[in-house]
Amino acid sequence: MATPGGPRPGNAPPNHNPNALANNMQNLQINQPNQQQSSNVGGTAPRPPNTSPFGQQPPPFTGSRPGPPPPGVFARGPSPPSTPAQTTLPPNMVPARPTGPPPGSRPPPFASRPPPSGALPSSMTGTAAPPHSGAGPRPGPFSSSPLTSGPSAPPQMSSHGPVSNGPPAFAPGMTQSGPRFPPAMGGMPRPSAGPPQSTPMLSSGPSSQPLQVRPSFGSPPAGALSSIGQPAPPFSAPSQAPPFSAASQAPPFSASPQNMPPPPGSLPFSPPVPGVLQSSGSPYGMQTWPPQQQQQQVAPPPPIPGAMQKQQMFGMPPGQPPLPNQSMSLGQTGQSKIDPNQIPRLSTSSSVILHETRHDNQANPPPPATSDYIVKDTGNCSPRYIRCTINQIPCTVDLLSTSAMQLALLVQPLALPHPSEEPIQVVDFGESGPVRCSRCKSYINPFMKFIDQGRRFICNFCGFTDETPRDYHCNLGPDGRRRDADERPELCRGTVEFIASKEYMVRDPMPAVFFFLIDVSMNAIQTGATAAACSAISQVISDLPEGPRTMVGIATFDSTIHFYNLKRALQQPLMLIVPDVQDVYTPLESDVIVQLAECRQHLEILLESIPTMFQNNRIADSAFGAAVKAAFLAMKNTGGKLLVFQSVLPSTGIGSLSAREAEGRSNISAGEKEAHKLLLPVDKTLKTMAIEFAEYQVCVDLFITTQTYVDIASLSVVPKTTGGQVYYYYPFSALSDAAKLYNDLRWNVMRPQGFEAVMRVRCSQGIQVQEYSGNFCKRIPTDVDLPAIDCDKTIMVSLKHDDKLQEGTECAFQCALLYTTVYGQRRIRVSTLSLPCTNMLSNLFRSADLDTQFACILKQAANEIPSGPLAQVRDQATNACINILYSYRKFCATVSSSGQLILPEALKLLPLYTLALLKSNGLRTDGRIDDRSFWMNYVSPLPTPLVIPLVYPRMIAIHELDEKELELDDSVIPTSIPLSSEHISDDGVYLLENGQDCLIYVGTSVQQNVLQQLFGISSVEEISNQFILEQYDNPLSKKLNAIVNEIRRQRCSYLRLKLCKKGDSSGMMFFSYMVEDKTPSGLSYVEYLIHIHRQIQSKMT
Amino acid sequence: MAEFLDLESQDSVRMPWNVLPGTKADAANCVIPISAVYTPLKPLPAAMPLLPYSPLRCRNCRSVISPFSIVDFSSINKIWICSFCLQRNHFPPHYQSISEQNLPAELFPQYTTIEYETTAPHEKAEGGSSNVFLFVVDTCVIEEELGFLKSALLQVLGMVPENCLIGLITFGTYVHVHELGFGQLPKVHVFKGTKEVTKDQLLEQMGFFLKRPRPTAGVIAGVRDGLSQESVARFLLPASDCEFVLNSILEELQKDPWPVPSDQRAARCTGTALSLAAHLLGVCVPGSGARIMAFLGGPSTEGPGAIISKNLSEPIRSHKDLDKDSVPHYHKAVKFYEALSRQLVHQGHVLDVFACALDQVGVAELKVAIEKTGGLVVLAESFGHSVFKDSLRRVFQSGDNDLGLSSNGIFEINCSKDIKIQGIIGPCASLDKKGPLCSETVIGQGNTTAWKLCGLDKTTSLCIIFDVIKKENPDIIAQSANNQFFFQFLTYYQHGNGQMRLRATTLSRRWVAGPGIKEDLISGFDQEAAAVVMARQVSFKMETEAEFDPIRWLDKSLIHICSQFGEYQKDSPSSFSLSPRLSIFPQFMFHLRRSQFVQVFNNSPDETAYFRMILNRENIANSVVMIQPSLISYSFQSGPEPALLDVASIAADRILLLDSYFTIVVFHGSTIAQWRKAGYHELPEHQAFAHLLQAPRDDADAIIRERFPVPRLVICDQHGSQARFLLAKLNPSATYNSDGVAPGGDIIFTDDVSFEVFLDHLQRLAVQ
Repeated sequence: MATPGGPRPGNAPPNHNPNALANNMQNLQINQPNQQQSSNVGGTAPRPPNTSPFGQQPPPFTGSRPGPPPPGVFARGPSPPSTPAQTTLPPNMVPARPTGPPPGSRPPPFASRPPPSGALPSSMTGTAAPPHSGAGPRPGPFSSSPLTSGPSAPPQMSSHGPVSNGPPAFAPGMTQSGPRFPPAMGGMPRPSAGPPQSTPMLSSGPSSQPLQVRPSFGSPPAGALSSIGQPAPPFSAPSQAPPFSAASQAPPFSASPQNMPPPPGSLPFSPPVPGVLQSSGSPYGMQTWPPQQQQQQVAPPPPIPGAMQKQQMFGMPPGQPPLPNQSMSLGQTGQSKIDPNQIPRLSTSSSVILHETRHDNQANPPPPATSDYIVKDTGNCSPRYIRCTINQIPCTVDLLSTSAMQLALLVQPLALPHPSEEPIQVVDFGESGPVRCSRCKSYINPFMKFIDQGRRFICNFCGFTDETPRDYHCNLGPDGRRRDADERPELCRGTVEFIASKEYMVRDPMPAVFFFLIDVSMNAIQTGATAAACSAISQVISDLPEGPRTMVGIATFDSTIHFYNLKRALQQPLMLIVPDVQDVYTPLESDVIVQLAECRQHLEILLESIPTMFQNNRIADSAFGAAVKAAFLAMKNTGGKLLVFQSVLPSTGIGSLSAREAEGRSNISAGEKEAHKLLLPVDKTLKTMAIEFAEYQVCVDLFITTQTYVDIASLSVVPKTTGGQVYYYYPFSALSDAAKLYNDLRWNVMRPQGFEAVMRVRCSQGIQVQEYSGNFCKRIPTDVDLPAIDCDKTIMVSLKHDDKLQEGTECAFQCALLYTTVYGQRRIRVSTLSLPCTNMLSNLFRSADLDTQFACILKQAANEIPSGPLAQVRDQATNACINILYSYRKFCATVSSSGQLILPEALKLLPLYTLALLKSNGLRTDGRIDDRSFWMNYVSPLPTPLVIPLVYPRMIAIHELDEKELELDDSVIPTSIPLSSEHISDDGVYLLENGQDCLIYVGTSVQQNVLQQLFGISSVEEISNQFILEQYDNPLSKKLNAIVNEIRRQRCSYLRLKLCKKGDSSGMMFFSYMVEDKTPSGLSYVEYLIHIHRQIQSKMT
Repeated sequence: MAEFLDLESQDSVRMPWNVLPGTKADAANCVIPISAVYTPLKPLPAAMPLLPYSPLRCRNCRSVISPFSIVDFSSINKIWICSFCLQRNHFPPHYQSISEQNLPAELFPQYTTIEYETTAPHEKAEGGSSNVFLFVVDTCVIEEELGFLKSALLQVLGMVPENCLIGLITFGTYVHVHELGFGQLPKVHVFKGTKEVTKDQLLEQMGFFLKRPRPTAGVIAGVRDGLSQESVARFLLPASDCEFVLNSILEELQKDPWPVPSDQRAARCTGTALSLAAHLLGVCVPGSGARIMAFLGGPSTEGPGAIISKNLSEPIRSHKDLDKDSVPHYHKAVKFYEALSRQLVHQGHVLDVFACALDQVGVAELKVAIEKTGGLVVLAESFGHSVFKDSLRRVFQSGDNDLGLSSNGIFEINCSKDIKIQGIIGPCASLDKKGPLCSETVIGQGNTTAWKLCGLDKTTSLCIIFDVIKKENPDIIAQSANNQFFFQFLTYYQHGNGQMRLRATTLSRRWVAGPGIKEDLISGFDQEAAAVVMARQVSFKMETEAEFDPIRWLDKSLIHICSQFGEYQKDSPSSFSLSPRLSIFPQFMFHLRRSQFVQVFNNSPDETAYFRMILNRENIANSVVMIQPSLISYSFQSGPEPALLDVASIAADRILLLDSYFTIVVFHGSTIAQWRKAGYHELPEHQAFAHLLQAPRDDADAIIRERFPVPRLVICDQHGSQARFLLAKLNPSATYNSDGVAPGGDIIFTDDVSFEVFLDHLQRLAVQ
C-alpha cells in the first residue's frame, strides 16, 4: 500500500486557478490588493496547468477553491479569506464560530449582556456588519421613537444604542435584537408616516413581543432597515399598520406586558421565567409575541420550558430538550399587531466562522450554508460536500414523520472549498484500489472500526466484519484506534480522494473535450448573439486546461449544421455542412475535434470570421436538436462537454419545437388546468437524445441568448439529463450581456470539474436512499451518471428508513464520486458524514438545518411544478411549512398559549422563505413560461448556499456607501435590507442580487451627484435599459464596483446587471422582489405569518 | 472496300448491306440485319458549308429537304416532294429564287449530309455557358493514388475553357459537395453516403430557396425557373473564377478520413455521390450541356448503388457469379443506375467515368448510366497510369485531336415506309417517340424514332438496326422502277461552342428482291461493317438475353451466311469458296469469337462492360481493330508492313506493332531484344537499328494521339512476361501440341482452335 496521503501533493495548487478568471473579467474593476493576495495564496502555482505535470497529480480541486479569488474573480470567497493562513481571519471570527447552538460559553455573555453579547453577535452570524449599519444610522430615529413610544423599552434601547454605535464589533443589537428592534422600527416609520397611529397602537396593544432572534439571523435586518432610514416608507403606514405597525411601535416591549419580565440581562423582554424562551436577549430563547388582540398579553408567554437552555445546543446529549424557538403571538382575528421589524429575518454575516466537523467525537452541526465559514475536517466531511436536513437522524420513521420534516442530503461532491481550508488529501492504494467493505462496497472511512488487533474491521454501513488486507494491517493503540489513524487521511478525514485503479475504468480516462456549438441563424446574427458567443469563446480558449488532453471542436448551425475541420495541415479551417437535419451525422470522425494546441490559430481565425461569414444570413430556422445530435456524434468516441449557444426557438430538424407558449396563452382561459403542461417537455425526442448523450459521457450546457420564447421546458431536458446547465439571457442584449456570457463561459470551463462520473450515496443500515434529484442521468436506481460534474452542481438525495436505528449510535452517509479529472486522472472522491441518531423529537427540531430543509422544499416544489396545477404546488409548499411548525407547536412547545405562533429557533425563517418561494419566479402565476422553466431548471442543481438568495435576495443601499465607509471594516458588502418596499426610499439607490441577477434601483429623487458619481448621468431619465457598470473615479463608484465584484466572487456568478427606475417595467421587476410586501396575488410577510398561525391553530383544535 | 470508305467520308455511315434485300424473307436469309453504323458528328469535309438557317421540313412527316427530294421548279409556286412520304411541299417565299441552276446547298447532290445552324432563341440566351463540368472525386484511395489524381486534376483545371462552369464533389464515406463560390473559407456540404437524397431535399437542404419563395408547383429547374443565379453560382463557377479556390481545395484534398477496419473495404458511396451530382446539375443547369466526371478508385460499398458489401471476405463479383445470378448487389445497383440514367437523360447531362483501380469499381453496373448519357469511360489500373492521365487531358484538349465534345443531342430517323426501325445499339437513350416506323422487333434502344444523346463526340457511332417489312410480292418485283429506300438521320446538338446545330444525313439505297439477288447483295456487302454489327449484336445479346450462347449464335450465323452466299457444291467442303467481298468475314468472326467481347471469362465484368461500351460508341474502323487487331511488322529487310495476326508472324529479327485498340504492343523479336538490351541503338554506328526501334514507337504514338481512351502502350520483348499481350491476340497456329517448331520460335499455350481448323469446320458445315 502506498502510504496514503502523506506527501501526496494534495495541496498542490488547484489546477484551476481562479485567478486566471479574474484577469479577463470584463468590466470588473478589480481590487488590486486582493488580487495580489490571491495570487499569493494560490501561491505555489498560479497557473497550475503548466507547472504541475500530471505526475504530481495535483488534485484538481483539492486546492480548495481555486485559490484566492482574485478580485473580479468569481470565486466566492470573500476577499479577506483569500489569505492563506487562517490566522489572518479576524480574531473574533474564531470564537464566533458556533453560530447556532454555541455551547455553554455563550450564555454567560448574555447574561452579562453588554460586552459579550456584542461579541457574540458579530461572531455569530458574521452579522458584525449588519449590526453596525443598523446601529449607525439608527440613533436618530431610534432614540426618538423609543422615547415616544414606550417608557420601559426605551431606556434599554437607548443604552444599547450607544453601545452599538461605539464599537462596531459589538453589535449589541444582535443579541438583544428584541429590544433594539422595536425602537428602530418604531423610529423609522413613525416619524414620517404615522406618528399618530403609532402612539395609539402603542398604547392600545403592546401586543408584540420582541422577536427573539437567533444571533445569526435575527436582528440585523432590522438594524439594516433602520439604518437605511427611510424617511417615509411609502407603504408603511397602511400596510403595516394593521398587523404590525401597532405592534412594532408598540415598542411593545416597553408597553406590553411581556416586556414586563425584564430579561435577566438588561433585556426588557427576557422572560421572567427562566425557562421561558422569551428572552429576547438570549439568542436561543424563544420569543413569544403575545397575541395582541387581547389587550394584554400580560401573560408571560414562556411557551417552552427549558427554553433557556437552548444554548446548550446540539452537541448536548439528548435529554435536555432546550429548544430554541421563537414565538410570536399573532392575532387570529387579524387584528394582531406585529412589529415587522421583529419578525424573523435573515441576517448575513460577513465574518468567517471556523467549523470543525467533529468535536469530541461528536458530529458538529454545520454553520448556516449562507454564512462564510472555514472547515476543518476532523472526521466528518465538510458541510460543503454533504449537508443533511437534520443533523441528528431520527431513529424511527415514525419520529421523522411526526416532525413533518424531511430527511434528505444535499450532496455537492466537488464543492468549492474555502481557500483557507486544507486541500483534500489524495490517497493512492496502488493497483489494489482503495480498501472497501467486501459486502456493501463502501469505502474505508474514519468510522470503520478496527478490531482484533487491527486484523479485522467492522463496516459502519452494513455492519459486516471484513478482514483487513495484509498490506493495510496496523496495530491498534490503547484507545482502540489504529496507531496510524492520524497519518492516514482515509482514517481521519471525512473527505479523501482515492486514485482509481484499473478496475474502476472501462476505458482509458477520457480527454477533456470542449465542443462549441453556435447558433448563426438570422436572429442570432442580428441580435449580436453570435458575435458575443464567438468573442466569449475566443477569449476563453486561453483558459481551457493546457496540455495534450484538451481537445476542442466547433460547429455552427442554422437550418443546417456547419462543422469545421481544424486540422493544422489545412491552410484554413474547412467548413463542413451537414444539410440533413432529420437524420444527422458527423461529417468527419477525426479532425472535427482536435487537440487545442494544434488548432489554436485556426480556431481564433474562425471565431473571428464566423460573425462576418454569416453576416448576411437570411436563414431564420434553427436546427438545434439536429445540431446537438450531430455534435454529439462527433464527440461520441470520447465524450466531453458540449457548449451550445442558442438564440431562437428550434424550428427545424430533429426535436424542433413550436411556439406552444403562444398557443398556451390563447388557451389559458379555457385550459387553465393544462397550463402546467407548458412546463413539461413537449415530447420525448430530446429526452431520448439526452439519455444517449449521457451514455456516451457527453454533457450539454446551454447558453440561451434570446429575445423570444424558446421553450426552455423542452430544451432544458438535454442539459438536465447530461449533468449540464442552462444559462439564460433574456432579453439578450449584445451590449450588456456579452460580459456576462463571457464570464459564465469562462467559469464554466475553468471551474473545478470532472468527467464521466458516477456517484452513489451509501447509508448505514436502517436508512436507504429513496431518490436522487438534480442534473444527471439515472440508468440504474442506485447510481447517478454524470457525464460531467462541477463544483456548482448539487444533488438532492432523499432518504428513507427501512429499519429502526439505535439511539446513541451514529448513522453514516457516504458519497462516492468516481470521476475523471480534466487532466485525465481517474479519481474517487469519498465523503463520509456520520451523524448521531436520536429518539427525541426536540432534538430533531434543534438540529434542523434550515437552509438545507428549505433547499429541499424548494427543489421539490420545482420538481412538482410541471406535474400539477400551480395552486396545488403552492399549497404544498405552505403545508410543508405549516406541518413542521404544527408538529413543533404540538409536541415541543406544549406550554405556550394558543395565541402564539411558536417557531423553532432553527427554523424560524421557514415561513419567510416559504413566502418568498411562493413569490418566486417559479411559483408565480404571472411569470413568463420560459422564466418559470428556467427557474425550475436553475433550481434543480442549485447549491444550498445559493438557494436562499434566490428566493430572498440580498438588498443593500448604495447611496449611503460613502457616508458609511468608515464604519465598514474589512467586509465590503454592507448590511442587507429586508425586502420590503417600506425600506426603499425615493432618493436612494439600491442594489439587489439573487446570485443570478443584480438589479440596481434608482429612486426618482436621487441626488444628482450620486447619479453622476455612480453612473455618470445627471438625471434618472437618462437611464438606458442596457446597462453596463462602469467605474468612475470617485469613492462611491469604486465602492459600488467593489461590492459588485465581491458579490460576483461570492456567488461564482457574474450577475446580470440591470438598472431599474420607478415607473417602468424595470421598476416593476425590482419591486416584484420585495417579497415581504403585499402584492395583488400574495400576502405580506406578516399576513403570511398570521395565515400560518391560523392554520396551525386550526390543526391544533 | 474503298467505295464504302468513300460513302463513309461523305455521309459518315457504314452499312453491312449497301444493296438491300427488298423483302422480309430475303432479309431474314441475310442473317446480318439491315443496319447502319452512323457517326453523327464525324467531321465533314472542310469545304462543306454550314447553313446559317433552319432546314425546310416536310409538313407531313417532318423530314428535312434533301438532294433526294424532287423539286418542281416549273410551277410558279415551286414545290418539293418529300422522298419519304411523297408529300408535296411548297417552298417558303425566300426560296422563290431557286432554280436548277441556282440551288440551295441542301439540294446539292453531293451534300447528302449537311449541317444547319438552327436558331433556338432560349439556348442562344445562355450563349457562352457552353459547358459544365462537375467533378466527382473518390477520396477512398491510398495517398499515392490520391496524389496522382490531384495532380491530374490540377493539370486539367488549367485547360478548362474559361467560360466553362466547374463544380466539385468529393466522396468517400460521405459525399462532400464543395461550395466554390464561398470566399471566406473552403465550404463543403456533407451528405451521408448511405442515404439517397431526393432533388427536393437537396433544394431544401442546400438552401436554394432562401431568398425567394419556393414555387408552389411545377418543375424546379435552373435559373429560368426561379432559382437565383446567386445560389447556383455557389456551386458552379466559371473556371476562371474558381481556379484559385479549386486549386487550394484539391491541394488540400485528403484521403477519406474514416477509419477502415483491416478486414473491410473502404466505405465508398459512389451511388449517392453520383445521384447528388445529378440532382445538383438538375437543379442548377437543367437542359444545358453538363458533364459529371466521376473519378472512381474502387468499388462502391455504401448506400444505393453499392456493388459489394464492405466485408473483404466477400469477393467481388465475377462473370461466373453474374451468370449464376448469385450477386446480391448487382441488380439493385443496376436498377439504381438505371434510374440515375433516366434522370440524367431527362436533364440532358452526361456521366463520364474514369475508373482507376486494380479492383473493379462497378463499371458493369454504371454502364447503363454512362452509355445512355453518351458518357466517356476510361478504365485504368491507377490514377498514375498514362491511360488515365492522357485520356483525361484529351478530354480538355483543344486542337486537331480534340474530342469534339458536344451535348444535348437529339437523334431522329426518317425512312421509307417499307423499312422499320428495330432500335439502336449505341450510346443513346430512347425518347419514347413511338410511331409507324417502329418495328415490333426491338433491339437496343428501340420502340422510338427519336433518341437522346446527352453527350456525343466526333467518333460517337450509333448502330441502327432496321427491319424490312415488305412481303414477298411478285408485283413489287415487277415494278422495280422505284427500288430505292431512303433513310434520313437528323441530329440536333449543342456544339462545343454553344451553337445549336442540326446535321441531316439522307441516304438512298437500292433494294433488290426475288431470286438471283445473291450477287447484288454480295456486291453491296461491307464485311467490316458486318463484323462490327455482329459484334455489337452479340455483345448486346450476351448482356440482355439469359442463357445466350454467343459462340453458337455466331457460328450459326457465320455458317448460315457462308452457305447462303458461298460458292460450293453441296457436301463438298473442298469446293467451298467465298466472294472477295465476303472473304475475310469468317476471319473477323474467328477473332470476334476469341475477343474480349465474347470470351468474357478472362475479364472482369467491369472490363467487359468497358470494352463493350467502347465498342458500342466507336466507328467501324476502330471497332474492327478491337475485333481483329492489326499487326505491323518492322524489320531491316522491309519497311513496315502488315503481318498476319498469327503466331507465325513472330520472328527474332522483327519488331511487331500490335494495335488491339485498348492496348498497343511493341514486340521485339528475341534478337532485336538482345541488341536493344546491349544498347546498340545508342551507338552511332548502329543508327539504322535505332531507327528501326523508333519506327514502331512513332507509329504507336501516332495512334495514341488520336485515340480515346488513350490505349495502353506495352513495350516488350519476345519471351518476356509482357509478351502475353501480343500472344493472346494471335491466331494460335502453333501451340504446345502442334508438331514442329514455329518459324518465329514462339508457340502459344492454348487449347484454342487455330484459324485453319476453324475454317475447316466452317467449310464442312457450310456445305451441308
